[in-house]
Order: sequence, then structure tokens, then C-alpha cells
Amino acid sequence: MKPLSPTLRDNYRYVAFRLSFEDPLNAYEIETAIAKTARSLFGDVGVSEFSLRVVTFDGTKGLVRCDYRHVSEVLAILASIGKIRNNRVCVTTIGTSGTIQAAIEKYLQTEEKIRRIISSYVTVPVSGKAVRICGKEIDIVPEDRKTVDRADVQFIGIMIDDNERLI
Amino acid sequence: MYNYVDIGIHAFPEGADTVKRLNYVANQLGFSQIVATIHSPYWSQFPDSSLSTGVEILASTVRELRKQIAVFRDTSTIVSVHGGDERINRAACKDDRVDVLMHPERGKHSGINQVTAKLAVKNEVALGFCVDYFWKKEERERSRLLAFQRRNVYLCQKFGASVVVTSNAYSYLDLRAPRQLKALARLLHFSDREADIALSETPLSIMKKRGLKKEVGT
Repeated sequence: MKPLSPTLRDNYRYVAFRLSFEDPLNAYEIETAIAKTARSLFGDVGVSEFSLRVVTFDGTKGLVRCDYRHVSEVLAILASIGKIRNNRVCVTTIGTSGTIQAAIEKYLQTEEKIRRIISSYVTVPVSGKAVRICGKEIDIVPEDRKTVDRADVQFIGIMIDDNERLI
Repeated sequence: MYNYVDIGIHAFPEGADTVKRLNYVANQLGFSQIVATIHSPYWSQFPDSSLSTGVEILASTVRELRKQIAVFRDTSTIVSVHGGDERINRAACKDDRVDVLMHPERGKHSGINQVTAKLAVKNEVALGFCVDYFWKKEERERSRLLAFQRRNVYLCQKFGASVVVTSNAYSYLDLRAPRQLKALARLLHFSDREADIALSETPLSIMKKRGLKKEVGT
């Protein structure tokens, strides 16, 4: 079949996003979550107009392709993802671009901080076991689970300056 | 360029993350500052913080609400009221010591009518639209709250009430970037300009007003 001429082709935008998570996820899971949330928010008819597709996802950052008239709806879809397979997540958009190359160069080439597993007992600001550190951010599994249950998360999040003993 | 502020964040010990952690993540997302508002039952447990804080009053009766407003007005920068009950919503909008009425739609009905909206305008009480239900609630509840909020947005636009959009975050995973909150606000029929004002100018003006009042008092 003869390809469409450039003026007749669809115009896309590429939305770069970053995934914050409690447990790691793969590309299939994030793709399914985006499709499910999109259908739940806008329905089948709405989603058909968005030309929505996950172009790339490396575990923390990715690109979503969409129609240029529906970028705002796609931002809303990404913001509405809160949980994937009982794992709390947050999908934050970094920026939007007209080509894949520009999106990768602008938004996806920055290095992510490495998350390290640690094991240290802390008492300030809460009693529990510090299990992860990422830059200055520390995650604690508390002994008293009331607070984490209220917030529907697994960890208490502190900064390294919140606990002087860890500095 | 707007200075985006989120004034509906619940930090540790009520939420899961400390104020410093939430502030660090919010700055990365594009907020210039956040205000941790603590529900009144947790106020005594909250440690002193260098960052601005407020209180969200949780009251079951109008009498209790008035008592708590009197207590917290002098101690807290921002006084917001946990809405939902129609009597509480109305009493909060009647009181000029209140800054924000949070999520008035979280009851049986949308929580705001023309009388409440006019009272909110008269007493300079902003209405808080928390959009956390988009990622916390299931489909049915989400569409119900969306319908209520759209009705409230219509009333606010008609009567000129001030509006604040917040993420009502309990952890850093509940925080969303300002551009995402704007996209969600568009689903509530806010224009881009209105969403920008709700995320920056209105919360900043509330903070400025309370800061100035404190200075005048001292």
C-alpha cells in the first residue's frame, strides 16, 4: 500500500514521564495500567481519538505517544494512575515533545539516582527499620503500621536530615 | 511564570512522609512551596517545622467547629475546614476567620448551593477542590465526585468564589506536578487561566493575607 503523504499523516506528541514506585514494574504492566485508566476515564470512544501508545519504558522513565490535540487528556490519564497490582505508584510527566528523538534528548537522558538497599534500625522520627536509600531520601518500614495504613503505602518517607544519626 | 503552591498536604505523623521529604519532592515536581495542613486531631503530635503549616479542622457539629476555629486562628497560618457535611460547609463559609473549605463535595450531595457560594464570596473563604479521588477511588465513586465538583465549579464561576486546587497528599506518591493538576482541573471545566490562579495566586494571597494579619497583630 502506498504510504500517506506527510501532510495527511497524524500529528503526534510524545509525553515523557517518570515513574515513582514502591516495587519495580515492567513495561507491560505500565502499558496495561495506562490503557485501563484511559478507558475508565474517557471510555472507548474517547481513547480511540487519543492514538495512545507507550513508545518506550526503561523501568523508571518512558515515553507515551498521543494525538497533538489531546495532550491535556493524556496528562490527566497519567496523573490518575495511583496503584498497579496493589503497588502504589506515581506517574509524573516531565515534558512534551514533537519527535521521539527530541523527547529522548531533552527528558530521558538525565541519570536517575540509584536506589540502594540498607538495613538499619531507627527510632527518629519513627521506630522501624530503614530499608532503602535513594540520594537523600530514606524509606522506613515502621513497627506501628497505623500511619502507613492510613496513607495506603508501605514505607514512611524521611529525608536524611530528619534523622541526625544517619547523616 | 507562576509560583505554584499546594496547600492541602498531610505530612507525618498524619501522613506517611515528613514535611522535608514532601517539600523536596514537591520542589522537584515544580511547586515553589507547599503548606502542610494537619487535621486537628493530629495537631498536637506534629513537630515544629520551619515550613509554613496550617490546620484542617475536623468537626462533627457547628458548635465544635466554631470552638476549634477560635482555638486555631491564632496558632496556625492557614485555617481550613474539612468539608462534606452541608451544615459544616455552610458554617465554614459564614465565618471570615476560615481561609479554605476543603472538599465540600465529600458528603451525600455536592455540598454547595447558591447561598453557600455567596457566603463564601462575602467572607473571602476559598473553596478547596481536592483531586486525589482520581487516583484513589474506583470508577463509580470517581464519577460521582467528578459530577459534584463540576457543579461546584459552575457555582464558583457564577458567583466569583475563590478556588484552590490541591492534591490532598498523604505521601509523596500522592503528589502530582502542577501541569498534571491543571490537566485534571480542565476535566472539572476550569479554564487554563482559572487553574493557574487556583494553583498559585489564590493560595499565595491567602498566605499573604494571614502573614500580614499576624504582623499587624504583633
